[in-house]
This record gives sequence, C-alpha cells and structure tokens, in this order.
Amino acid sequence: MKRILILMLVLAISLVSASAFAETLKLGSMSPLTGPYAADGNDIANGVRTAIEVVKSEGGIPGFDDITLSAQDTACDPRQAVAAANKLINEGVNAVIGTYCSSATLPSSEAFDEEDIIMLTPGATNENVTERGLQNMFRTCGRDDDQSKAALAFMTNYLKSKSIYLVDDKTAYSQGLADNVEKASGAAGIKVLGHDHVNQGDKDFSAVLTKVKAANPDVFYISLQNSATGALLLIQAKRMGIDAVYLSQDAVYHPQLITIAKKDADGMYLTFGYVDTSAPSYKKFIKAYEPKYGKPGAYSAYAYDSAMAYLAAVKKAGSVELSKVRTALLSMEFKGASKTFRYKENGDSGSNYIIRKIENGKFVDYWNVQTGEKF
Amino acid sequence: MDYFLQQLINGVTLGGVYALIALGYTMVYGIIQLINFAHGEFFAAGGYMGVIIISYLSAKGVSPVLCIALGLGLTMVYCAILAMAVEKVAYKPLRSSSRLSVLLSALGMSIFLQHGLMLTQGVYDKPYPTAMTAGGFELGGVVVSYMQIYIILITAFLLVALNLLVFKTRIGKAMRATAQDKVMSALLGINSNRIISLTFAIGAGLAAAAGIMVGFYYGSVNYTMGFVPGIKAFAAAVLGGIGNITGAMIGGLIIGMVEIFAAGYLSSEYKDVFAFIILIAVLYFRPTGIMGENVDDTRV
Repeated sequence: MKRILILMLVLAISLVSASAFAETLKLGSMSPLTGPYAADGNDIANGVRTAIEVVKSEGGIPGFDDITLSAQDTACDPRQAVAAANKLINEGVNAVIGTYCSSATLPSSEAFDEEDIIMLTPGATNENVTERGLQNMFRTCGRDDDQSKAALAFMTNYLKSKSIYLVDDKTAYSQGLADNVEKASGAAGIKVLGHDHVNQGDKDFSAVLTKVKAANPDVFYISLQNSATGALLLIQAKRMGIDAVYLSQDAVYHPQLITIAKKDADGMYLTFGYVDTSAPSYKKFIKAYEPKYGKPGAYSAYAYDSAMAYLAAVKKAGSVELSKVRTALLSMEFKGASKTFRYKENGDSGSNYIIRKIENGKFVDYWNVQTGEKF
Repeated sequence: MDYFLQQLINGVTLGGVYALIALGYTMVYGIIQLINFAHGEFFAAGGYMGVIIISYLSAKGVSPVLCIALGLGLTMVYCAILAMAVEKVAYKPLRSSSRLSVLLSALGMSIFLQHGLMLTQGVYDKPYPTAMTAGGFELGGVVVSYMQIYIILITAFLLVALNLLVFKTRIGKAMRATAQDKVMSALLGINSNRIISLTFAIGAGLAAAAGIMVGFYYGSVNYTMGFVPGIKAFAAAVLGGIGNITGAMIGGLIIGMVEIFAAGYLSSEYKDVFAFIILIAVLYFRPTGIMGENVDDTRV
C-alpha cells in the first residue's frame, strides 16, 4: 500500500513538473470562420497568426521552444462556441484569443474559467463580458455602454437630434447595444419613436422600413450583427426614401458594407474605436500583416494586440499560470496597433469610440467624441 | 392609407417570389409525390449564375436590358439542366423504393448543392449590379421601385405562361395524365420519365428566375440564401394544397402578405410566427390546403 502511494506521488510530481516545463506555448483562437460572420472571424484568426509570427521573429519567449495556434470556428453560435471551447481545453491550450460575438463569448468564457485558462476577446463588446467577476476574462476592444454614450453624444451635441428610431437583430450584442442607446436617448430627451427587432438571416426589410418612414425620425439607428445584412438594409432604406441620419455601430464596420451597398452606403455614420494609423506600433503591425493576409479588417488589430499583450505578459511572468499572468497583464502598459492601453481589474482596456463616416466609398474619421470636434 | 398601400406593394412583391419557388415544390410533388428539399438550392444557384452571366455580359459592353434578358434566359436553362441532372442522379434510381429514402436523398442533395456553392463561390455575399434596375417613382406617398414592378410583371408573365403550358398544350396534358396515373399514362404511350424530367426542369427554371430577381431587389446573393425562402415556399405550397398549381400561387401570395403585414402592424419579430400560424389554422380546417380538393384533374 505504502509503495503504491509513493509511486503515485512520484507520478503526480513528475506530471506537474512536466506541465511546468512545457516547451510549447499553445494559443487557441475562437471566431466565426464560416457562415455570415466569416469575414470578421478570419480577420481575427489572421491577427493572432501575425502576432505569433512577430514574436517568433523577435526571438520567441524564454522557456518555450515554439508557439502554436489552434484556430477554432464558433460560427457565432453559443452552442458551437462551447463545443469549440471544450476542444481547446482538451488540446491543453494556455490561452484563448476570442471570440468575436458576445453571445458566443459569454458561455465559452465560463468553460475556460473552470480550467483557469485566460481568454482575451478582441471583439465582444457587450458589457456583461467583464461584469461577471471572472478572473480569466480580458477585453481589448471597447464596451457597448461606452459605445452607446458615443452615439448619444454625437446625436445631442453634433446632430441636435429630436427623435430616433432603432432597429436591431436580437443578438446579445446588437440588441444590448440598441437597448442602451434607447435608454440613453430617452433620458437625454430624444424622443424614441420606435424600436423594432428583425430576425437573423432576414433579407426583406420592406415592412419595418415602411414603419420607419411613416415615423419620420431624425436619426435611424441600425444595430445589426453583420455588415452584409447592414448593406441589404441600407439599400432598401435608401430606395424607400427614408430621409434621416443613418447611424450604426462597429459590427457593420467592414469593407463588405461598401462593396455591396455601393453608393447607398455614402453618408452613413458609425461608432468605432479610434485607431491612430500613423503610430509606429500600427505601422509595425501593417508591415507584418498586409503581405500575408491582405488589408486588415475591422478586428485584425484588436486580435493582434490581444495576442501580443498575452505573450508579453507570459514573458514578464515567466509562467503560464493564471494568477501570475494576470498580475503581469494588469501591471503593464501596452503600445498596441489599435491603441495604447492597460487592462483594468475587471479585464477591460478602456473604450475610445469616435464617429466615422462613409464618404465616396471610404470610411473616414469624422467626429471626436472626447473633444466634440470634427477631425 | 398610404401606409397600408405601401405594405401591400411590399407584400405582393415578396409573395410573388415565394409563389415562383412554391411552384417547383408543388409540381414535383404532384407528379411523383416527393417533397424536393433541394429545390431551394436551385433558387440560390440561379442567383449566383445570374450575377456571373450578367456581370460577364455587361463587362463586354452589352446593353443592360439585353444583359438582364439574356442572363434570365440562360440562367433558367442552366438551372433546368441542373435539376434534370439532380433528378437523374438522386431520385430516378430510387423511384421504386420507399418514399422515405427519396426524401433523405433530397435532403442530402440540398446539403451537397449548398456546400458546393460555398466551396466554389466563397462564404462572402456576392453583390449584384443594382444600378441596372435602380430607380422608382412616388405615387401619393407610396414609393414603388422599378424592381418591384419588374418582379410583379415577370412573375405574372411566368405564371400565365405556366398555366397555358399545363392546361392548353399536349405536353401539359401529358403532365397531368402522368400525375394522375403513371402506369396508365405509360400504357397510352406517354414517356413518363421524360415528363418527370421536364417537370423538374420547369420548376427549377422558375426558381432560377426568382433567384435573379431577388438578387437585383435586395442587392446581393449568398450561398445560404436558398434555405429560408425554400422553407417558406414549401409552406406556401402546402397552404395552397400541395400538388395544385393555382394553390401554390395563392399560397405564396398569402405567406408573403401575412409576413409583411405582421411585421408592419405588429412586430418584425413575429412575422414568421404569423406566417406559420396561418398555415396551421388553414390545415386544421382544410387538411388538403386551400385548393386541395379538386386534386385529381388540376394537379401536375
């Protein structure tokens, strides 16, 4: 009996030490690689790939021979996201970059929490992501309550709007954001003429747009999960002749919106995080990303920053243990491609939303929320 | 009143699209009692083939009207051939086996075609050259786009043409005879295999036309676009009385209108719910569907 106990003890110690001196740092990424959100999902996986390539070319991380990536598909579906999370847990990843959709991030982060695996999201903006007291959850992008404040500041201070009509497509993200804007508008004295919900996968918006036209609002707020759907809605809204300011959010921000809607996209405003494209850290990212993966999408830089921050923290902590990496992440300031940031106690990195506008088929920086001035 | 008329136009346009797709379901069911679940994919394939042909022609400098006419015609022929091939490969070998195995074969074909489209055309939306059909007019507060007029006119034309074909020609008579009794009509010298093939071809051709019109109307096509309209059109065919051509047209219009009016007067969230409540209610009181009674002499 004693002998068996000793044997088991030895075995346990050797297993622990084996994992402590693991030679490969395993990263996982989770994003929608197929389906309607595939464009943003592939941008995210490519951002993480770029970060790994950059760190490797700079000599890697002491104590690790190699850094690998296992890119998983969530299809933006909560069930598939949990399945992908379990797959990554089985593969023994040290950290996960993802996911894109808030509805997929919320359940999968809890699976990772049980296993003490760090998760850094580049795209999930629903405020609940970092409001659950999870120690493993970090967020590199902004938050929807801040995003709705930016939208509201633009409406009250710049547009001086009197009324608003909102349409969303019922995901944790899109409806959560529209609800925030609705509440804030009501409190600020902007009359809410209506708030309608359409279904995921709808193509025909003629009925709801006829409603919007009859209500004749100053601002038409569009909160959809997908840029292609946003384009379809824009085309139909312009055809219907809705004479309002079109205001939307960061999920609709994608070159695809302009490719499909063409002229009809011109004049639309969107809230999106400010990216200083002249900063050296952004140029370094572009130099590594563009030759291999083409023009970066809306979330490539956030995914790149999430992975870079994690790898820097592991280097500083000299360990992949959750508590040590967490302490390192909280203690460092990162000069990222998307922004310069520092993670807070709850995992947030701060929002820096600005208003962008589509002009002549291009996204341009339009209005600074902080200063209240045009760029 | 303006609001009502606007929603009516929206509803008729959407209903017309559903009616065109529903005809394919109903004709195939009428003739071999098969619910062809791959039918929605002919609609998607038509949407893609249409934009490929039309973009190619317009790049060569062909005038827009000719582009669209040729695109529509060639795409309908392409989808007709595709449907005949599908019938030969997936359904004909199973003609004497149980109806369940043919149904499974149809489901498999649907998945095969949808993912084939994804692999060859990619996961992103493909934009349509909407400038060709842009524009419209306002009539006392009601906005009508030219594309809505085109959809209604082309749908009406195809429906009339189909009715003439089925009820006034020898081929139509052969189709109706085959639907009534395959063995007897074969004994009387009708080549039932050819008639079945033709039925698939006509149904897919109509779905292809719907695919192109949807592409122009909404602005883009996507590989998943066949699924939801396919289900709605199937519901429309059942609502009208599956197997009955006039029923499919009426069913399509009803489903389209109910959807639009539910979204316009209640909420967009519930439009699908209402479309299916109507379906269930009609089937409860008339299990054969609206036009389902005189099945024997008008079905195809």
